[in-house]
Amino acid sequence: MTDYEIVIGLETHIQLNTTTKIFCSCKADSWFDPPNTNICPVCTGLPGVLPVLNQAVVEKGMLLAAAMHAEIQPVSYFDRKNYFYPDLPKGFQISQYDRSLARGGYLDLPMPSGYVRRVSIHKLHMEEDAGKTKNAGRERLIDFNRCGVPLVEMVTGPDLRSADEAAQYLIRLRQLLRWIGVSEADMEKGHLRCDANVSIRPRGADYLNPKTEIKNVNSIEAVRDAIEHEAARQIREVEAGNRIEAWTLEWDEDAGVLRKMRSKETEADYRYFREPDLLSLPITDEWKERVLAGLPELPLERRARFMQAYGLPEYDADILTGERNLSDYFEAAVQAYGGDPKRVSNWLMNDLLRMLNDTGRTADQLKVTPQYLAEILKLVDANTVNTSTGKALLAKVDQSGKAPRAIVEEEGLAQVSDDSAIRAVVQEVLNESPKEVESYRAGKVTLMGWFVGQVMKKMRGKADPSLARGILEELLGGG
Amino acid sequence: MSRALLDLSIKEALHQLRSGEISSRELTQASLDALEQLEPSVQAFLTRTADMALRQADEADARYAAARRDPQAVVPPLLGLPIAVKDLLALEGVRCTCGSKILENFVPPYTATTVRRLLQAGVVVVGKTNTDEFAMGSSTENSAYQLTHNPWDLERVPGGSSGGSAAAVAARMVLAAMGTDTGGSVRQPASFCGVTGIKPTYGRVSRYGLVAYGSSLDTVGVLARSAEDTALVFQHMAGQDDLDATSMDLPVPEYRLEGGDLRGLRVGVPKQYFIQGIQPAVEEAVRAAIRQLELLGAEVREVSLPHTEYALPVYYLLAPAEASANLARYDGVRFSPRPEAENLWDVFFNTRGQGFGPEVKRRIMLGTYALSAGYYDAYYAKAQKVRTLIKRDFETAFEQVDVIAAPIAPTTAFRIGEHTDDPLAMYLEDVFTLPANLAGVPGLAFPVGFDPQGLPVGMQLMGAHFDEATLFRTAHCYQQATDWHLRKPQWIG
Repeated sequence: MTDYEIVIGLETHIQLNTTTKIFCSCKADSWFDPPNTNICPVCTGLPGVLPVLNQAVVEKGMLLAAAMHAEIQPVSYFDRKNYFYPDLPKGFQISQYDRSLARGGYLDLPMPSGYVRRVSIHKLHMEEDAGKTKNAGRERLIDFNRCGVPLVEMVTGPDLRSADEAAQYLIRLRQLLRWIGVSEADMEKGHLRCDANVSIRPRGADYLNPKTEIKNVNSIEAVRDAIEHEAARQIREVEAGNRIEAWTLEWDEDAGVLRKMRSKETEADYRYFREPDLLSLPITDEWKERVLAGLPELPLERRARFMQAYGLPEYDADILTGERNLSDYFEAAVQAYGGDPKRVSNWLMNDLLRMLNDTGRTADQLKVTPQYLAEILKLVDANTVNTSTGKALLAKVDQSGKAPRAIVEEEGLAQVSDDSAIRAVVQEVLNESPKEVESYRAGKVTLMGWFVGQVMKKMRGKADPSLARGILEELLGGG
Repeated sequence: MSRALLDLSIKEALHQLRSGEISSRELTQASLDALEQLEPSVQAFLTRTADMALRQADEADARYAAARRDPQAVVPPLLGLPIAVKDLLALEGVRCTCGSKILENFVPPYTATTVRRLLQAGVVVVGKTNTDEFAMGSSTENSAYQLTHNPWDLERVPGGSSGGSAAAVAARMVLAAMGTDTGGSVRQPASFCGVTGIKPTYGRVSRYGLVAYGSSLDTVGVLARSAEDTALVFQHMAGQDDLDATSMDLPVPEYRLEGGDLRGLRVGVPKQYFIQGIQPAVEEAVRAAIRQLELLGAEVREVSLPHTEYALPVYYLLAPAEASANLARYDGVRFSPRPEAENLWDVFFNTRGQGFGPEVKRRIMLGTYALSAGYYDAYYAKAQKVRTLIKRDFETAFEQVDVIAAPIAPTTAFRIGEHTDDPLAMYLEDVFTLPANLAGVPGLAFPVGFDPQGLPVGMQLMGAHFDEATLFRTAHCYQQATDWHLRKPQWIG
């Protein structure tokens, strides 16, 4: 049997998180709003109205292009893409065709198994979204809220070689979009939409076979499942001696099956031409520099730096750069702490991440600021509090917003390291437990833990445990 | 008495309104009365807005009265002046049909920027005027509603597509009317009806609220009886608009028109505009007018616009191509009457099949074809290249001259029905007006004589980009020395 490889290209539509739409001043995001409430004469295409380009869309597009290492064009143009559909009020979509915002670009995917897949970007352009239709019995309902919502369409080359790589692309893209702050990138809400072009070929071949296009995949899991199903189908067809037809398929997530939507033998003729209502879009060096000054260090770069500069394991670096606030938090805490970065990482990954997950917050919303975390770590290091008190402090600080040191003082949480104070309590414990003293002296040395526990209990956890153990050994030891 | 008010120039009318000699109510009522008496014959209006007009007139009178009590008060410059608006321009709350059945019941919830600016300047709107369907035509015969008759000969067309506006001004029903010009739609009806009309530079005037036909060519203009009146109104609707990205951020100069001569003005006469087929009376009148400019001190020289002959095919590829997209929105989903349909595609087919007239369908098909895969390069892309050459012709010419004087149409007003079976003959009507739209330069049309049948002949002056001022000044000097623009059709009384 032939060994096949899968060839995948992804077309993504990214909803930019601007306040207003791309060509009018209607609110862009309508997720929580009733149908047809964020509309105006412009986005519903009434006769005689004109589009006016929202500069914020261009700026977010520029950030995305730069993050994809694409070349921002000094001049780009908008075009009309003509087709009829009830949710497309003008009968054309304002898009960019042959002279779009940016050219080229790539995204590197570090795969969990260790290799890096470089995915090329073939197209990156701005456009307006269309509305939505749905069937309601014998009626067809239209919601125009989404008309004019700004999108960037980004198409990869046929560079992905497995469903896992496709999933990884979406995971990394979603991370990047949130990281640079251009999109909420929530697939369930349609902020990030994906169509997959899938074909197969004998492993090592350098030609492309006819592909099918899978639409309506709105989660990363669905993309992975749909591609796996389709590749398996294509292999079965080819093995059975059949040809692959250029179909458009739809993924039914509930049933886990692909359905044929239409044959794609003839390409639709969109009759693109320059949008005469908008001028060309020049991007000056000054503008570009000003916008790109706001581009942060990208997640993969930061991931590599965390490993190199802080000596973090790949696992830690990956988690800590999963989200920009978290990685900013980590770095600020490392700076404030000045000690071993791995120790900061451990506290973050073990304790603070759980607090974040439990409460659905991001790192910047914590009342335990990076400075407070560093303060707690220093208190533990200096034996002012023990580790368990330190961890308890995290929750106390996050509730009250008070400085850790203030809480330690207020609540008297500092460890008691005074020999005579501990010695008095030890004597008390020994006096109250003659039986245990006898057993210990008779050789049951495992009771030491019990004695330490009794001392800690009486001192409400504040005793320096090693000091207490030393005094206990001294007083019991003679026998 | 009241009808005589409509013989006043805009300048005089505004003067008398300010002084209190006449009221806007009187002037507006005179206009409405004229409509009442003349409309059965002329049929220039698709919608009359008498109630709104009288309300606006009363408000204007109240403001004038207040201003007379308070000498510090500033009154808007066109306060109380009754005008008409072409039914291709949106006016909030008033039906806007564009001469099409497909917009029979469309009431826009917004006002075109040009109309809004004139309303802010104080005008009173008495109604919306007839037009060829979506401005596609040169005779107003393509209106889905009615034929408009040329006040100089009711058996003839008023020209088009702003035929309703030109006829309304010529019949002295209003002192000024707004028009639109995509390929000659202000200038050619101005010529046929013996009135003055400005087609501004593309980008000088906002297109917001002008229902699009050929977006890269569409302009909003004004028709009135003289260059001075035209400039007075145009002054207040021109200028950059945040709602139209193609409107240019350039200051609008104050068009102060004084008498005097034309010494120092260089007038170009393009040899390509005096071709075979031009009616002798038209050529004679235009040449006489050019001599008149010379008598006024202008220096006249021949210029060449070598790509003129390609303007017609270029226009009839580009304008329909843009129109094919602009008119895609009339799909029956939102505001067109929706015919019975079995399914979605039948909604589209039936709405458009029944809603559009034959000329609109013809241009949608022409434009769709020109943009189609396999034909795009040969038609649309080629036409864009030639458009650049036409633009360059003008740029070169305006290095040598200040204005270009040329005929507007090869003929005077033709008979109703004369060209309706021959679309190509109708398209040829536009041969002299199209180049200015393709080049984006301004053009001013004004009457320069009459043919033996007593039909007006117009001439156009074309200027460099954004130099409407020189056109107004030249025509004003001419009109100070001639009286063609003062004549009126006898029968209207």
